[in-house]
Amino acid sequence: MRMTVSASRYWLVLVSTVGLSVLAVACQRGPLQATARLAPTTSQPVGRAIVPDAGAAAYIQPFHEQVEKQMSTVLGTAPVALTKHAGENPLGNFMADLQRTAAAKATGQPIDLGVMTNGGIRTELPAGPITLGNVFELMPFENELIVLDAPGPVVQQLFDYAAPVRMAVSGATYTVGPDKRPVDIRIGGQPFDPVRTYTIALSDYLAGGGDHMEFLKAAPLRHTGLLLRTVIVDHIKALTAAGQPVTAQVEGRVK
Amino acid sequence: MLGTAALGVLGPSLVAEAASGPARLVILHTNDMHSRIEPFPDSAPQWAGLGGMARREALINSVRAQEPHVLLLDSGDIWQGTPYFNFFGGELEYKLMSRMKYDASTFGNHDFDNGLAGLQKQLPNAGFPFLIANYDFGGTPLAGRFAPYKVFEKAGARIGVFGLGIELKGLVADKNFGATQYRDPVAVAQAQVQQLRQQERCDMVICLSHLGYKYEGEKIDDRKLAAQVGGIDLILGGHTHTFMPAPEPITGPAGHVTLINQVGWSGINLGRIDYELRRGAQPVRATGALVLPVGATC
Repeated sequence: MRMTVSASRYWLVLVSTVGLSVLAVACQRGPLQATARLAPTTSQPVGRAIVPDAGAAAYIQPFHEQVEKQMSTVLGTAPVALTKHAGENPLGNFMADLQRTAAAKATGQPIDLGVMTNGGIRTELPAGPITLGNVFELMPFENELIVLDAPGPVVQQLFDYAAPVRMAVSGATYTVGPDKRPVDIRIGGQPFDPVRTYTIALSDYLAGGGDHMEFLKAAPLRHTGLLLRTVIVDHIKALTAAGQPVTAQVEGRVK
Repeated sequence: MLGTAALGVLGPSLVAEAASGPARLVILHTNDMHSRIEPFPDSAPQWAGLGGMARREALINSVRAQEPHVLLLDSGDIWQGTPYFNFFGGELEYKLMSRMKYDASTFGNHDFDNGLAGLQKQLPNAGFPFLIANYDFGGTPLAGRFAPYKVFEKAGARIGVFGLGIELKGLVADKNFGATQYRDPVAVAQAQVQQLRQQERCDMVICLSHLGYKYEGEKIDDRKLAAQVGGIDLILGGHTHTFMPAPEPITGPAGHVTLINQVGWSGINLGRIDYELRRGAQPVRATGALVLPVGATC
Protein backbone atom coordinates (compact mmCIF):
# COMPACT_ATOMS: atom_id res chain seq x y z
CA MET A 1 0.00 0.00 0.00
CA ARG A 2 1.35 3.37 -0.92
CA MET A 3 -0.19 6.21 0.99
CA THR A 4 -0.21 9.66 -0.37
CA VAL A 5 1.63 12.07 1.81
CA SER A 6 -1.15 14.52 2.25
CA ALA A 7 -3.39 11.81 3.61
CA SER A 8 -0.85 10.35 5.95
CA ARG A 9 1.00 11.41 9.00
CA TYR A 10 4.43 10.26 9.90
CA TRP A 11 6.50 10.41 12.94
CA LEU A 12 10.18 10.37 12.42
CA VAL A 13 11.84 9.00 15.46
CA LEU A 14 15.58 8.96 15.56
CA VAL A 15 16.41 5.66 17.17
CA SER A 16 19.47 4.24 18.68
CA THR A 17 21.15 1.16 17.35
CA VAL A 18 22.98 0.70 20.63
CA GLY A 19 21.36 2.51 23.49
CA LEU A 20 18.60 5.02 23.80
CA SER A 21 19.09 8.55 24.92
CA VAL A 22 16.72 11.26 23.97
CA LEU A 23 18.44 14.25 22.50
CA ALA A 24 15.94 16.50 20.87
CA VAL A 25 12.49 17.10 19.59
CA ALA A 26 12.20 18.74 16.25
CA CYS A 27 9.07 20.65 15.51
CA GLN A 28 7.99 21.62 12.08
CA ARG A 29 4.95 22.25 10.02
CA GLY A 30 3.61 19.51 7.85
CA PRO A 31 2.61 15.96 8.40
CA LEU A 32 5.79 14.77 10.03
CA GLN A 33 7.20 14.90 13.50
CA ALA A 34 10.86 14.33 14.05
CA THR A 35 11.69 13.09 17.46
CA ALA A 36 15.32 12.44 18.09
CA ARG A 37 16.70 9.51 19.98
CA LEU A 38 20.32 8.88 19.31
CA ALA A 39 22.88 6.22 19.79
CA PRO A 40 25.78 7.21 22.03
CA THR A 41 27.98 6.53 19.04
CA THR A 42 26.64 7.21 15.60
CA SER A 43 29.78 6.76 13.58
CA GLN A 44 31.16 3.33 12.90
CA PRO A 45 34.90 2.96 12.57
CA VAL A 46 36.00 1.47 9.27
CA GLY A 47 38.85 -0.50 10.76
CA ARG A 48 40.76 -3.75 10.58
CA ALA A 49 37.86 -5.70 12.03
CA ILE A 50 35.92 -5.30 8.80
CA VAL A 51 36.70 -7.80 6.06
CA PRO A 52 36.99 -5.83 2.81
CA ASP A 53 34.37 -6.54 0.21
CA ALA A 54 36.06 -8.93 -2.20
CA GLY A 55 34.43 -7.43 -5.28
CA ALA A 56 35.51 -3.93 -4.37
CA ALA A 57 39.03 -5.08 -3.52
CA ALA A 58 39.33 -6.80 -6.91
CA TYR A 59 37.98 -3.69 -8.57
CA ILE A 60 40.64 -1.54 -6.89
CA GLN A 61 43.55 -3.90 -7.59
CA PRO A 62 44.44 -2.84 -11.17
CA PHE A 63 44.33 0.82 -10.12
CA HIS A 64 46.54 -0.03 -7.16
CA GLU A 65 49.06 -1.71 -9.42
CA GLN A 66 49.20 1.32 -11.68
CA VAL A 67 49.78 3.62 -8.72
CA GLU A 68 52.56 1.41 -7.41
CA LYS A 69 54.16 1.26 -10.83
CA GLN A 70 53.98 5.01 -11.35
CA MET A 71 55.29 5.77 -7.89
CA SER A 72 58.46 3.87 -8.78
CA THR A 73 58.87 5.86 -12.00
CA VAL A 74 62.27 7.56 -12.06
CA LEU A 75 61.97 11.28 -12.78
CA GLY A 76 65.63 12.27 -12.55
CA THR A 77 68.92 11.80 -10.76
CA ALA A 78 70.65 13.60 -7.92
CA PRO A 79 74.46 13.17 -7.75
CA VAL A 80 74.36 14.02 -4.06
CA ALA A 81 71.46 13.97 -1.63
CA LEU A 82 69.49 17.18 -1.25
CA THR A 83 69.48 17.58 2.50
CA LYS A 84 67.84 19.96 4.93
CA HIS A 85 68.98 21.19 8.30
CA ALA A 86 68.69 24.28 10.48
CA GLY A 87 69.71 27.47 8.71
CA GLU A 88 70.29 27.80 4.98
CA ASN A 89 70.23 24.31 3.45
CA PRO A 90 70.27 22.76 -0.04
CA LEU A 91 66.75 21.39 -0.14
CA GLY A 92 65.29 24.61 1.29
CA ASN A 93 67.04 26.61 -1.42
CA PHE A 94 65.93 24.12 -4.08
CA MET A 95 62.28 24.50 -3.06
CA ALA A 96 62.32 28.27 -2.53
CA ASP A 97 64.12 28.90 -5.82
CA LEU A 98 61.80 26.57 -7.70
CA GLN A 99 58.73 28.29 -6.28
CA ARG A 100 60.09 31.65 -7.41
CA THR A 101 60.87 30.56 -10.96
CA ALA A 102 57.62 28.60 -11.32
CA ALA A 103 55.56 31.55 -10.05
CA ALA A 104 57.38 33.89 -12.44
CA LYS A 105 56.53 31.55 -15.30
CA ALA A 106 52.90 31.21 -14.19
CA THR A 107 52.33 34.94 -13.74
CA GLY A 108 54.58 36.18 -16.53
CA GLN A 109 56.29 38.63 -14.22
CA PRO A 110 59.47 38.54 -12.14
CA ILE A 111 58.96 37.33 -8.57
CA ASP A 112 61.16 38.97 -5.95
CA LEU A 113 61.22 36.35 -3.21
CA GLY A 114 60.62 32.65 -2.61
CA VAL A 115 59.86 31.25 0.85
CA MET A 116 59.80 27.66 2.09
CA THR A 117 60.08 26.72 5.75
CA ASN A 118 61.84 23.58 6.93
CA GLY A 119 58.55 22.37 8.37
CA GLY A 120 57.05 22.28 4.88
CA ILE A 121 59.74 19.89 3.65
CA ARG A 122 58.84 16.45 4.89
CA THR A 123 61.82 14.35 3.79
CA GLU A 124 65.13 14.77 2.02
CA LEU A 125 65.81 13.74 -1.57
CA PRO A 126 68.28 10.86 -1.68
CA ALA A 127 71.33 10.62 -3.91
CA GLY A 128 70.71 8.55 -7.03
CA PRO A 129 67.46 8.06 -8.92
CA ILE A 130 64.57 10.24 -7.77
CA THR A 131 61.18 8.59 -8.11
CA LEU A 132 57.71 10.03 -8.13
CA GLY A 133 57.30 8.31 -4.76
CA ASN A 134 60.22 10.39 -3.41
CA VAL A 135 58.47 13.57 -4.50
CA PHE A 136 55.21 12.50 -2.88
CA GLU A 137 57.12 11.94 0.37
CA LEU A 138 58.85 15.30 0.02
CA MET A 139 55.55 17.09 -0.66
CA PRO A 140 52.60 15.00 0.54
CA PHE A 141 50.46 18.10 1.01
CA GLU A 142 48.10 19.37 -1.62
CA ASN A 143 49.65 22.80 -1.35
CA GLU A 144 49.16 25.37 -4.05
CA LEU A 145 51.80 27.82 -5.24
CA ILE A 146 50.69 31.34 -4.30
CA VAL A 147 52.01 34.80 -5.08
CA LEU A 148 51.75 37.48 -2.38
CA ASP A 149 51.95 41.17 -3.14
CA ALA A 150 53.61 42.05 0.13
CA PRO A 151 54.03 45.64 1.30
CA GLY A 152 57.40 46.62 2.81
CA PRO A 153 56.34 46.16 6.45
CA VAL A 154 55.20 42.57 5.77
CA VAL A 155 58.53 41.84 4.07
CA GLN A 156 60.34 43.30 7.08
CA GLN A 157 58.38 40.92 9.32
CA LEU A 158 59.33 38.03 7.04
CA PHE A 159 63.02 38.75 7.61
CA ASP A 160 62.40 39.33 11.32
CA TYR A 161 60.91 35.80 11.34
CA ALA A 162 63.76 34.33 9.27
CA ALA A 163 66.79 35.81 11.04
CA PRO A 164 66.58 34.08 14.44
CA VAL A 165 66.54 30.66 12.71
CA ARG A 166 68.86 31.78 9.88
CA MET A 167 66.22 30.76 7.31
CA ALA A 168 67.28 31.53 3.75
CA VAL A 169 64.94 33.42 1.43
CA SER A 170 65.22 32.91 -2.32
CA GLY A 171 66.08 36.14 -4.13
CA ALA A 172 67.54 37.80 -1.06
CA THR A 173 70.57 37.94 1.20
CA TYR A 174 70.80 39.32 4.72
CA THR A 175 73.03 39.36 7.73
CA VAL A 176 71.97 38.22 11.18
CA GLY A 177 72.84 40.95 13.67
CA PRO A 178 74.06 40.24 17.19
CA ASP A 179 70.53 40.61 18.54
CA LYS A 180 69.30 38.13 15.90
CA ARG A 181 67.76 41.00 13.98
CA PRO A 182 68.15 41.03 10.17
CA VAL A 183 70.44 43.74 8.83
CA ASP A 184 71.72 44.60 5.36
CA ILE A 185 68.72 42.97 3.68
CA ARG A 186 69.22 42.87 -0.08
CA ILE A 187 66.53 41.79 -2.53
CA GLY A 188 67.57 41.14 -6.09
CA GLY A 189 70.92 42.64 -5.11
CA GLN A 190 69.34 45.96 -4.11
CA PRO A 191 68.91 47.25 -0.55
CA PHE A 192 65.48 46.49 0.90
CA ASP A 193 63.09 49.39 0.31
CA PRO A 194 60.47 49.48 3.09
CA VAL A 195 57.97 51.50 1.05
CA ARG A 196 58.01 49.14 -1.92
CA THR A 197 55.73 46.17 -2.54
CA TYR A 198 57.50 42.87 -3.19
CA THR A 199 56.16 39.69 -4.79
CA ILE A 200 56.64 36.48 -2.79
CA ALA A 201 56.21 32.91 -4.09
CA LEU A 202 55.17 30.46 -1.41
CA SER A 203 52.61 27.78 -0.51
CA ASP A 204 49.01 28.55 0.25
CA TYR A 205 49.71 27.07 3.65
CA LEU A 206 52.28 29.72 4.54
CA ALA A 207 50.29 32.46 2.81
CA GLY A 208 47.43 31.58 5.13
CA GLY A 209 49.60 32.14 8.19
CA GLY A 210 50.96 28.60 8.60
CA ASP A 211 54.19 27.95 10.55
CA HIS A 212 53.31 30.99 12.68
CA MET A 213 53.63 33.40 9.77
CA GLU A 214 50.44 35.19 10.75
CA PHE A 215 51.81 38.45 9.40
CA LEU A 216 51.62 37.13 5.83
CA LYS A 217 47.82 37.17 5.98
CA ALA A 218 47.97 40.97 5.67
CA ALA A 219 49.27 40.69 2.10
CA PRO A 220 46.90 40.26 -0.88
CA LEU A 221 47.38 36.91 -2.59
CA ARG A 222 47.10 35.57 -6.09
CA HIS A 223 46.47 31.93 -6.95
CA THR A 224 48.55 30.18 -9.58
CA GLY A 225 46.43 27.03 -9.60
CA LEU A 226 49.65 25.00 -9.54
CA LEU A 227 50.13 22.24 -7.00
CA LEU A 228 53.61 22.44 -5.51
CA ARG A 229 54.11 18.74 -5.99
CA THR A 230 53.31 19.04 -9.68
CA VAL A 231 55.77 21.95 -9.91
CA ILE A 232 58.52 19.76 -8.43
CA VAL A 233 57.71 16.79 -10.66
CA ASP A 234 57.65 18.92 -13.80
CA HIS A 235 60.91 20.65 -12.85
CA ILE A 236 62.81 17.40 -12.30
CA LYS A 237 61.42 15.98 -15.55
CA ALA A 238 62.54 19.12 -17.39
CA LEU A 239 66.03 18.88 -15.90
CA THR A 240 66.25 15.26 -17.01
CA ALA A 241 65.01 16.10 -20.48
CA ALA A 242 67.75 18.74 -20.68
CA GLY A 243 70.36 16.21 -19.53
CA GLN A 244 70.84 17.93 -16.19
CA PRO A 245 71.04 16.42 -12.69
CA VAL A 246 69.05 17.59 -9.67
CA THR A 247 71.31 19.76 -7.54
CA ALA A 248 71.12 22.55 -4.99
CA GLN A 249 73.70 24.62 -3.17
CA VAL A 250 74.15 26.58 -0.01
CA GLU A 251 75.53 29.86 -1.21
CA GLY A 252 75.66 32.26 1.69
CA ARG A 253 72.22 33.82 1.53
CA VAL A 254 72.35 34.24 5.30
CA LYS A 255 75.52 35.88 6.59
CA MET B 1 18.99 17.10 28.95
CA LEU B 2 15.82 15.33 28.06
CA GLY B 3 16.62 12.37 30.16
CA THR B 4 14.62 9.52 31.50
CA ALA B 5 11.31 11.34 31.78
CA ALA B 6 11.15 11.62 28.04
CA LEU B 7 12.18 8.01 27.63
CA GLY B 8 9.40 7.04 29.95
CA VAL B 9 6.92 8.84 27.79
CA LEU B 10 8.39 7.38 24.65
CA GLY B 11 8.45 3.81 25.91
CA PRO B 12 4.70 3.07 25.81
CA SER B 13 4.47 4.80 22.49
CA LEU B 14 7.03 2.42 21.02
CA VAL B 15 5.04 -0.50 22.30
CA ALA B 16 1.86 0.95 20.87
CA GLU B 17 3.47 1.39 17.50
CA ALA B 18 4.91 -2.07 17.40
CA ALA B 19 1.70 -3.61 16.13
CA SER B 20 1.62 -1.42 13.05
CA GLY B 21 5.32 -2.05 12.48
CA PRO B 22 7.04 1.29 12.07
CA ALA B 23 9.55 1.38 9.23
CA ARG B 24 13.13 2.26 10.01
CA LEU B 25 15.05 4.67 7.85
CA VAL B 26 18.80 4.25 8.15
CA ILE B 27 20.90 7.20 7.04
CA LEU B 28 24.51 6.31 6.30
CA HIS B 29 26.91 9.11 5.52
CA THR B 30 30.49 10.14 4.84
CA ASN B 31 32.32 13.41 4.31
CA ASP B 32 35.76 14.49 3.13
CA MET B 33 36.85 11.05 1.94
CA HIS B 34 39.75 12.74 0.13
CA SER B 35 40.57 9.94 -2.31
CA ARG B 36 41.38 7.55 0.53
CA ILE B 37 40.75 4.43 -1.57
CA GLU B 38 42.91 2.19 0.58
CA PRO B 39 43.28 2.28 4.36
CA PHE B 40 45.93 4.57 5.80
CA PRO B 41 49.21 2.67 5.65
CA ASP B 42 50.34 0.92 8.81
CA SER B 43 53.29 3.32 8.89
CA ALA B 44 51.07 6.40 8.96
CA PRO B 45 51.72 8.58 12.02
CA GLN B 46 47.96 8.99 12.49
CA TRP B 47 44.96 6.83 11.55
CA ALA B 48 47.21 3.87 10.66
CA GLY B 49 45.20 0.98 9.24
CA LEU B 50 41.90 2.87 9.27
CA GLY B 51 39.48 3.54 6.44
CA GLY B 52 39.43 1.86 3.04
CA MET B 53 36.65 1.80 0.49
CA ALA B 54 36.47 -1.99 0.10
CA ARG B 55 35.87 -2.23 3.84
CA ARG B 56 33.31 0.56 3.67
CA GLU B 57 31.47 -1.30 0.95
CA ALA B 58 31.41 -4.43 3.10
CA LEU B 59 30.06 -2.44 6.04
CA ILE B 60 27.38 -0.78 3.90
CA ASN B 61 26.39 -4.12 2.40
CA SER B 62 26.04 -5.61 5.87
CA VAL B 63 23.68 -2.79 6.83
CA ARG B 64 21.71 -3.15 3.61
CA ALA B 65 21.33 -6.88 4.28
CA GLN B 66 19.43 -6.03 7.45
CA GLU B 67 17.73 -2.76 6.59
CA PRO B 68 15.37 -2.23 3.67
CA HIS B 69 15.27 1.56 3.87
CA VAL B 70 18.75 3.03 3.58
CA LEU B 71 19.89 6.44 2.37
CA LEU B 72 23.62 6.68 1.66
CA LEU B 73 24.85 10.27 1.44
CA ASP B 74 28.11 12.20 1.18
CA SER B 75 28.97 15.79 1.98
CA GLY B 76 31.77 16.54 -0.46
CA ASP B 77 35.55 16.63 -0.84
CA ILE B 78 35.47 13.20 -2.39
CA TRP B 79 38.69 14.13 -4.16
CA GLN B 80 42.30 15.03 -3.45
CA GLY B 81 44.65 13.56 -0.94
CA THR B 82 46.20 10.41 -2.35
CA PRO B 83 47.98 9.55 -5.61
CA TYR B 84 44.79 7.86 -6.81
CA PHE B 85 43.37 11.29 -7.48
CA ASN B 86 46.54 12.56 -9.13
CA PHE B 87 46.70 9.55 -11.43
CA PHE B 88 43.07 8.86 -12.25
CA GLY B 89 41.40 12.23 -11.70
CA GLY B 90 38.67 10.92 -9.42
CA GLU B 91 37.49 8.08 -11.66
CA LEU B 92 37.97 5.36 -9.06
CA GLU B 93 36.36 7.34 -6.23
CA TYR B 94 33.17 7.85 -8.28
CA LYS B 95 33.12 4.27 -9.54
CA LEU B 96 33.46 2.81 -6.05
CA MET B 97 30.79 5.14 -4.67
CA SER B 98 28.53 4.00 -7.49
CA ARG B 99 29.21 0.37 -6.54
CA MET B 100 28.17 1.23 -2.98
CA LYS B 101 24.98 2.81 -4.38
CA TYR B 102 25.38 6.25 -2.93
CA ASP B 103 22.08 8.09 -3.23
CA ALA B 104 23.57 11.59 -3.45
CA SER B 105 26.52 13.81 -2.68
CA THR B 106 27.23 17.51 -2.68
CA PHE B 107 30.37 19.34 -3.75
CA GLY B 108 33.35 20.21 -1.60
CA ASN B 109 35.97 22.73 -2.62
CA HIS B 110 38.45 20.00 -3.54
CA ASP B 111 35.98 18.55 -6.00
CA PHE B 112 36.96 21.52 -8.18
CA ASP B 113 40.69 20.79 -7.99
CA ASN B 114 40.81 19.63 -11.59
CA GLY B 115 38.65 22.52 -12.72
CA LEU B 116 35.14 22.39 -14.16
CA ALA B 117 36.47 20.38 -17.09
CA GLY B 118 38.01 17.80 -14.75
CA LEU B 119 34.69 17.50 -12.93
CA GLN B 120 32.73 17.26 -16.15
CA LYS B 121 35.02 14.51 -17.41
CA GLN B 122 34.34 12.28 -14.39
CA LEU B 123 30.58 12.82 -14.10
CA PRO B 124 29.75 9.81 -16.31
CA ASN B 125 31.47 7.65 -13.66
CA ALA B 126 29.13 8.84 -10.91
CA GLY B 127 25.96 6.76 -10.76
CA PHE B 128 24.50 9.17 -8.21
CA PRO B 129 23.46 12.83 -8.36
CA PHE B 130 25.36 15.80 -7.01
CA LEU B 131 22.95 18.11 -5.22
CA ILE B 132 23.99 21.74 -4.93
CA ALA B 133 21.60 24.61 -4.28
CA ASN B 134 23.90 27.58 -3.78
CA TYR B 135 26.29 27.31 -6.72
CA ASP B 136 25.06 28.81 -9.96
CA PHE B 137 26.78 27.11 -12.87
CA GLY B 138 25.02 29.31 -15.44
CA GLY B 139 27.44 30.31 -18.16
CA THR B 140 29.80 27.43 -17.39
CA PRO B 141 30.11 24.10 -19.23
CA LEU B 142 28.25 22.52 -16.30
CA ALA B 143 25.15 24.71 -16.60
CA GLY B 144 22.03 22.65 -15.95
CA ARG B 145 23.93 19.54 -14.89
CA PHE B 146 23.06 19.61 -11.20
CA ALA B 147 19.80 19.75 -9.28
CA PRO B 148 19.55 21.72 -6.03
CA TYR B 149 17.68 18.89 -4.31
CA LYS B 150 16.20 15.46 -4.75
CA VAL B 151 13.24 13.84 -3.04
CA PHE B 152 13.64 10.22 -2.01
CA GLU B 153 10.68 8.03 -1.16
CA LYS B 154 11.46 5.61 1.62
CA ALA B 155 8.77 3.43 3.17
CA GLY B 156 6.17 5.84 1.86
CA ALA B 157 7.78 8.91 3.42
CA ARG B 158 9.21 11.73 1.36
CA ILE B 159 12.76 12.69 2.27
CA GLY B 160 14.01 15.93 0.71
CA VAL B 161 17.78 16.26 0.39
CA PHE B 162 19.51 19.45 -0.74
CA GLY B 163 23.16 20.50 -0.95
CA LEU B 164 25.12 23.57 0.14
CA GLY B 165 28.71 24.37 -0.81
CA ILE B 166 31.31 26.65 0.73
CA GLU B 167 32.42 29.91 -0.90
CA LEU B 168 34.97 28.85 -3.48
CA LYS B 169 36.82 32.13 -3.90
CA GLY B 170 39.97 32.08 -1.82
CA LEU B 171 39.80 28.30 -1.34
CA VAL B 172 39.92 27.21 -4.95
CA ALA B 173 42.01 28.73 -7.69
CA ASP B 174 39.83 31.13 -9.72
CA LYS B 175 40.43 29.30 -12.97
CA ASN B 176 39.21 26.05 -11.44
CA PHE B 177 35.71 27.26 -10.67
CA GLY B 178 35.48 29.75 -13.52
CA ALA B 179 32.17 31.59 -13.72
CA THR B 180 30.50 29.51 -10.99
CA GLN B 181 28.59 31.89 -8.71
CA TYR B 182 28.27 31.35 -4.98
CA ARG B 183 24.94 32.24 -3.35
CA ASP B 184 24.26 33.01 0.30
CA PRO B 185 23.63 29.64 1.99
CA VAL B 186 21.11 31.01 4.50
CA ALA B 187 18.79 32.55 1.90
CA VAL B 188 19.18 29.54 -0.36
CA ALA B 189 18.49 27.10 2.47
CA GLN B 190 15.34 29.00 3.46
CA ALA B 191 14.08 28.75 -0.10
CA GLN B 192 14.99 25.06 -0.30
CA VAL B 193 13.14 24.26 2.92
CA GLN B 194 10.12 26.15 1.65
CA GLN B 195 10.23 24.28 -1.64
CA LEU B 196 10.69 20.88 -0.02
CA ARG B 197 8.15 21.36 2.76
CA GLN B 198 5.45 23.14 0.74
CA GLN B 199 5.68 22.23 -2.94
CA GLU B 200 7.30 18.81 -2.50
CA ARG B 201 5.42 18.01 0.73
CA CYS B 202 8.43 16.35 2.26
CA ASP B 203 8.23 14.66 5.63
CA MET B 204 11.88 15.20 6.36
CA VAL B 205 14.53 17.61 5.10
CA ILE B 206 18.24 16.80 5.04
CA CYS B 207 20.97 19.26 4.10
CA LEU B 208 24.27 17.98 2.72
CA SER B 209 26.64 20.77 3.69
CA HIS B 210 30.25 21.47 2.92
CA LEU B 211 30.18 24.76 4.83
CA GLY B 212 32.07 23.45 7.86
CA TYR B 213 30.96 22.70 11.40
CA LYS B 214 31.96 25.79 13.37
CA TYR B 215 33.97 28.98 12.89
CA GLU B 216 34.67 31.89 15.16
CA GLY B 217 33.33 35.14 13.75
CA GLU B 218 30.81 35.79 11.04
CA LYS B 219 31.66 33.05 8.56
CA ILE B 220 28.66 30.82 7.94
CA ASP B 221 28.89 27.31 9.35
CA ASP B 222 26.51 24.42 10.03
CA ARG B 223 25.70 25.62 13.54
CA LYS B 224 24.84 29.13 12.37
CA LEU B 225 22.83 27.69 9.49
CA ALA B 226 20.81 25.53 11.86
CA ALA B 227 20.22 28.50 14.17
CA GLN B 228 19.09 30.78 11.35
CA VAL B 229 17.07 28.47 9.10
CA GLY B 230 14.10 26.56 10.47
CA GLY B 231 12.80 23.33 9.02
CA ILE B 232 15.98 21.33 8.40
CA ASP B 233 15.90 18.06 10.33
CA LEU B 234 19.46 16.98 9.73
CA ILE B 235 22.62 18.65 8.47
CA LEU B 236 25.27 16.19 7.35
CA GLY B 237 28.38 18.33 7.34
CA GLY B 238 31.92 18.36 6.06
CA HIS B 239 34.96 20.48 5.26
CA THR B 240 36.25 20.90 8.82
CA HIS B 241 37.04 17.17 9.19
CA THR B 242 35.27 17.24 12.54
CA PHE B 243 35.00 13.99 14.48
CA MET B 244 31.77 14.64 16.36
CA PRO B 245 31.23 12.37 19.36
CA ALA B 246 27.48 12.58 18.72
CA PRO B 247 25.17 14.58 16.51
CA GLU B 248 24.57 18.05 17.92
CA PRO B 249 21.05 19.44 18.24
CA ILE B 250 20.67 23.15 17.48
CA THR B 251 17.42 24.94 18.19
CA GLY B 252 16.52 27.26 15.35
CA PRO B 253 13.66 29.58 14.50
CA ALA B 254 10.28 28.64 16.02
CA GLY B 255 11.92 26.01 18.17
CA HIS B 256 12.75 23.68 15.32
CA VAL B 257 15.63 21.44 16.27
CA THR B 258 18.19 20.56 13.65
CA LEU B 259 20.68 17.79 14.21
CA ILE B 260 24.20 18.25 12.86
CA ASN B 261 26.55 15.36 12.27
CA GLN B 262 30.01 15.02 10.73
CA VAL B 263 32.22 11.94 10.88
CA GLY B 264 35.82 13.10 10.49
CA TRP B 265 37.39 12.47 7.12
CA SER B 266 39.07 9.95 4.80
CA GLY B 267 36.36 7.35 5.29
CA ILE B 268 37.70 6.56 8.75
CA ASN B 269 34.11 6.38 9.94
CA LEU B 270 30.76 5.68 8.41
CA GLY B 271 28.05 7.79 9.98
CA ARG B 272 24.78 6.11 10.83
CA ILE B 273 21.62 7.73 12.11
CA ASP B 274 18.41 5.75 12.38
CA TYR B 275 14.92 7.16 12.25
CA GLU B 276 11.66 5.36 12.78
CA LEU B 277 8.94 6.37 10.37
CA ARG B 278 5.59 6.18 12.03
CA ARG B 279 2.33 6.29 10.24
CA GLY B 280 -0.61 7.42 12.20
CA ALA B 281 -3.26 10.00 12.73
CA GLN B 282 -1.66 11.71 15.69
CA PRO B 283 -1.91 15.44 15.34
CA VAL B 284 1.39 17.16 14.94
CA ARG B 285 1.02 18.97 18.21
CA ALA B 286 0.61 15.79 20.18
CA THR B 287 3.94 14.47 19.10
CA GLY B 288 5.61 17.69 20.01
CA ALA B 289 4.27 17.20 23.47
CA LEU B 290 5.31 13.58 23.60
CA VAL B 291 8.98 14.09 24.00
CA LEU B 292 9.92 17.04 26.09
CA PRO B 293 11.25 19.62 26.57
CA VAL B 294 13.27 21.17 23.80
CA GLY B 295 11.76 24.16 22.11
CA ALA B 296 8.23 25.29 21.66
CA THR B 297 5.31 23.47 20.19
CA CYS B 298 5.04 23.78 16.46
